[in-house]
Amino acid sequence: MGSRGFPVRRTLTGYAFLAPSLLGVIGFLLVPVLVVIGISLHRWDLVSPARWVGLDNYAALLDDLAFWQSLLITGMFVALVVPAQVVLGLLTAVLLDRRLPGSVVFRTVFVLPWISAPLALGVVWRWIFDPSDGALNAFTGVRVEWLSDPDLALPAVVVATVWQHVGYVALFFLAGLAGIPAQFPEAARIDGANAGQVFRRITLPLLRPTMFFVVVTGLLTTFQTFDTVYAMTQGGPAGATDVIASLIYREAFTNFRMGRAAAMSVVLLLLLITVTVAQQLYFRKRTTYEVS
Amino acid sequence: MRVLVVLLLLLSGCSIAGGATDGDRTTVTFRLWDEQVAKAYEESFAAFEQRNTGIDVTVQLVPWADYWTKLPADIAAGTAADIFWTNTSNYGLYADSGHLLPITDGQRSGWTRSVVDLYTRGGTLWGVPQLWDSIALFYNKELVEQAGVDPATLTWNPSGNGDTFLPAARKLTVDRAGKSADQSDFNPGTISRYGFNASFDSQAVGWNFVGSNGGTWQNGDAFDYADQPKTVEAIQYVVDLINKHHVAPSAADTNTNGDKTLQLFTQGRLALFQSGPYHLKNVQEGAKFRWGLAPLLTGPSGRVGVVHGVAAVASAKTPHREATEKVLSWIGSADGARPIAAGGFAFPGVVAAEPDFTEYWRQQGVDVTPFRDAANGVTFPAPVGPRVQAGATAAQPILQQMFLGRLPVPDGLRQAQAAANKAIEP
Repeated sequence: MGSRGFPVRRTLTGYAFLAPSLLGVIGFLLVPVLVVIGISLHRWDLVSPARWVGLDNYAALLDDLAFWQSLLITGMFVALVVPAQVVLGLLTAVLLDRRLPGSVVFRTVFVLPWISAPLALGVVWRWIFDPSDGALNAFTGVRVEWLSDPDLALPAVVVATVWQHVGYVALFFLAGLAGIPAQFPEAARIDGANAGQVFRRITLPLLRPTMFFVVVTGLLTTFQTFDTVYAMTQGGPAGATDVIASLIYREAFTNFRMGRAAAMSVVLLLLLITVTVAQQLYFRKRTTYEVS
Repeated sequence: MRVLVVLLLLLSGCSIAGGATDGDRTTVTFRLWDEQVAKAYEESFAAFEQRNTGIDVTVQLVPWADYWTKLPADIAAGTAADIFWTNTSNYGLYADSGHLLPITDGQRSGWTRSVVDLYTRGGTLWGVPQLWDSIALFYNKELVEQAGVDPATLTWNPSGNGDTFLPAARKLTVDRAGKSADQSDFNPGTISRYGFNASFDSQAVGWNFVGSNGGTWQNGDAFDYADQPKTVEAIQYVVDLINKHHVAPSAADTNTNGDKTLQLFTQGRLALFQSGPYHLKNVQEGAKFRWGLAPLLTGPSGRVGVVHGVAAVASAKTPHREATEKVLSWIGSADGARPIAAGGFAFPGVVAAEPDFTEYWRQQGVDVTPFRDAANGVTFPAPVGPRVQAGATAAQPILQQMFLGRLPVPDGLRQAQAAANKAIEP
């Protein structure tokens, strides 16, 4: 890396190559975030002129019961979805990695839910859970009102969401597994480790970077789940599945309280940044093994 | 962050642009949500353009699912259509914030009175009536004949005195073993055919019962139902039809699936289906049995049904007001309104075009008089106010729980009313 030539020009060339994605980041990420922060400081119903209210929208969130309730539900939703999809995804990846007959077909089948439109899948799941004519109740022969019972609706949406994500998670673990050189587990086995020990002491630690990626992206997408909930329950029954994105949507586009909705979005953004940073610190403390 | 992106798109105003003037031709844009009726408008505007060679009318179709989120966004961005459809729950917001042109057309005496009333706010008329819906009783002729029920004479009463409707509904509800709900060994767990479509459908069911019992729903723009004994009594009666008498499908089936009762009716699994002319074409296409229309059920205060209307309103920001007003005037005339009526799509807002609608359905073998009678009788006002939609959305999850039988009716109404009135605060 010699610094001969024209550093300024080199830097500019570098930025020129970055420009397309940089424009994307600025136009579709940075600007919207700033705009939302701006809106959150106003009172605006879209059709009347916006009025500056300072931090009023944030203050109002403090004693907005629906907002806290929704954060709680989102937290429960994330706590159920993310561990389940990571464990099931890992399990699926390990099984697919065995290269049993049909592995290739299954690999494709597992990813199908991920590439399908969540809204369409939500409609299908709503039909599966339909109390009178649904597939699930017809199969079990017991009438359960899955999506109308406040105790069952959230678990039902969790099942649909996990099912959608598992294939995607498995795909990453599969790539992670492929990156582990065969001699490591082999050496361990020669030293007398059994299959369980190899998995716990060799495979899992070496999968840590994948684990980090899968957990972080899983948390981020799950925190913002909207389509599946919208299609299956619209936040009901009695607000039992009213996750934060669903509440923000309603506040903005049914109640036309743009300022409030923007303030909620900003809080969600801060929350997600906190969670991500915390995770990064947690995973950084643990050693990651460079395998190359 | 999807929400952020949506907000950005909305600010950047990426939407269909409003009308434009090109040389000596002016383009007026017209927006609606109904694909079927859009065809009727195309026909109507073709005739208009022949008479007014300087004006083009462009029809924009925005599906219902996006209509009420796209409209305010476009109005905020200044890209709304010159003329657009609206319903009663949404126009108040735009009228109150000065986005609409007042209607001063001299033809108004020829428009459907009840729709004109719905769109009059603060003494000013804000929309040209385009179509209207009232409520009547669709019935499956084969099922009512088998059960010996005359659907035209049914009367309900919360006190039980002279209630002929409930016994009829019980006779029409049948379980898998073929036992009807008025028999002692009827099994409510395995119902295969329902008597009536009691459900959380305010326009077709709830408000008609409230009105026919002498109850009210709103006081001014505020919701005021929880402390109206007649209203509570009527809603209790409807909820009991589902959870106590088992003559209607469970709310778990109907709460979030607005088409469920229509499907049940067209499948022959529902005998009496109280609904509006907006379902005429669905029933006509879907039902493989003989069916008919009877008047709305009679309650203690008679037959008081909901009349709802769609109107066309004009944007106050239109750059070519004169051409826009010409188009408004055309769709408020009998000739302009005729394609909607003659195609059987809806009762037109112009009274003189009404016979075309009646005639279309007469040729299909359907007598739509019950709808006309309901609109001409005592009617129940559809809710209004600038934020009435927000109020309804806030009340919805609570009322749904109430229909499921998870909340007692008086508590449910009280909680729903409190939530709704909190939501309509600006």
